[in-house]
Amino acid sequence: MSSYDILTIIFFVAIGTYTLRVSGLLLSNKLKKFKNIDIFLESIPATLLIALIVPSIIKIGIIGIFAGFTTIYIMYKTKSVLLSMSSAVFIVALYRNGLLF
Amino acid sequence: MKNEIKKGFMANLPISVSVFTYGAVLGIICTSKGISFLQLALMNIFIFAGSAQFLIVDMLSNPINISIIIWSALLINLRYFLIGASLNEFFRNTSLKKKAFIMHFVTDESWAITMSKKDENLSVYFLLGGGLCIFIVWFLGTLSGYYFGEFISNPKLFGLDFAFLALFTAIITSMYKTKNDLVIYLFTAFIAVIFEKIIPNMSYIIISALSGSFLYVYLNKRSCNE
Repeated sequence: MSSYDILTIIFFVAIGTYTLRVSGLLLSNKLKKFKNIDIFLESIPATLLIALIVPSIIKIGIIGIFAGFTTIYIMYKTKSVLLSMSSAVFIVALYRNGLLF
Repeated sequence: MKNEIKKGFMANLPISVSVFTYGAVLGIICTSKGISFLQLALMNIFIFAGSAQFLIVDMLSNPINISIIIWSALLINLRYFLIGASLNEFFRNTSLKKKAFIMHFVTDESWAITMSKKDENLSVYFLLGGGLCIFIVWFLGTLSGYYFGEFISNPKLFGLDFAFLALFTAIITSMYKTKNDLVIYLFTAFIAVIFEKIIPNMSYIIISALSGSFLYVYLNKRSCNE
């Protein structure tokens, strides 16, 4: 593994990632000719985030699921992202330090 | 403009603790893989996508397979296409130059936080401010991990690895509107869990998100017809 190999990887991944970032935005106008694309794009934030996090939460185990539901409950009641996030982190930290259950 | 950037920057500060920690972990791994700080800095500046950077560093070995590493990293980053497409309305009336510049700084975190506040009539500078916050903190995190890694104790003990997941869970909760959403959320979660086991790479994220969104279109069309 040479320095040249690493730089080649960085170069192509950087170009590819930037192209993906910009093309999604620039092509979205062209996508508009497809029926229902607005409804489809409206749903993307939630579905993408769910697909991103649920398998990871389940991998953490029972405490991950418990902390996840706690986040939902606190967020639903208080509408505070910071409070719900920090409560969940606190619960996971307590558990991992043997102070919970 | 300055105010919006500052607002976006501040809104992303709570999650930056976690971003910093992840950056530090990446920095530590880089030292064990023999990656120079310059190479790490180039990744931070030009790729600026945490999960892809982790994957690249993780896959570096002897003998090296460059094309597999590149394609795997791009597969993870495929979600940025969908993220970009979902920002279309947000970038209306923005020049191409600004679009090209701001999009480089879009991350999962800054995008999710911006989308959760889209009813607040924010400008693209809010998104930029958030992206800059994550960029700076990520860079500082990798720098700290690279040079001072030995002084950082196990971040998992403090539950910091859960901060991303908790943040995104809170944001999804804030996006919930109707009972149809619950069906879509559960369906997407189910598909993601199943596909994560079946598909050997991270393309399950894209497939599950697309499946959930197609169901959303179907259910919404049906309720409109009724």
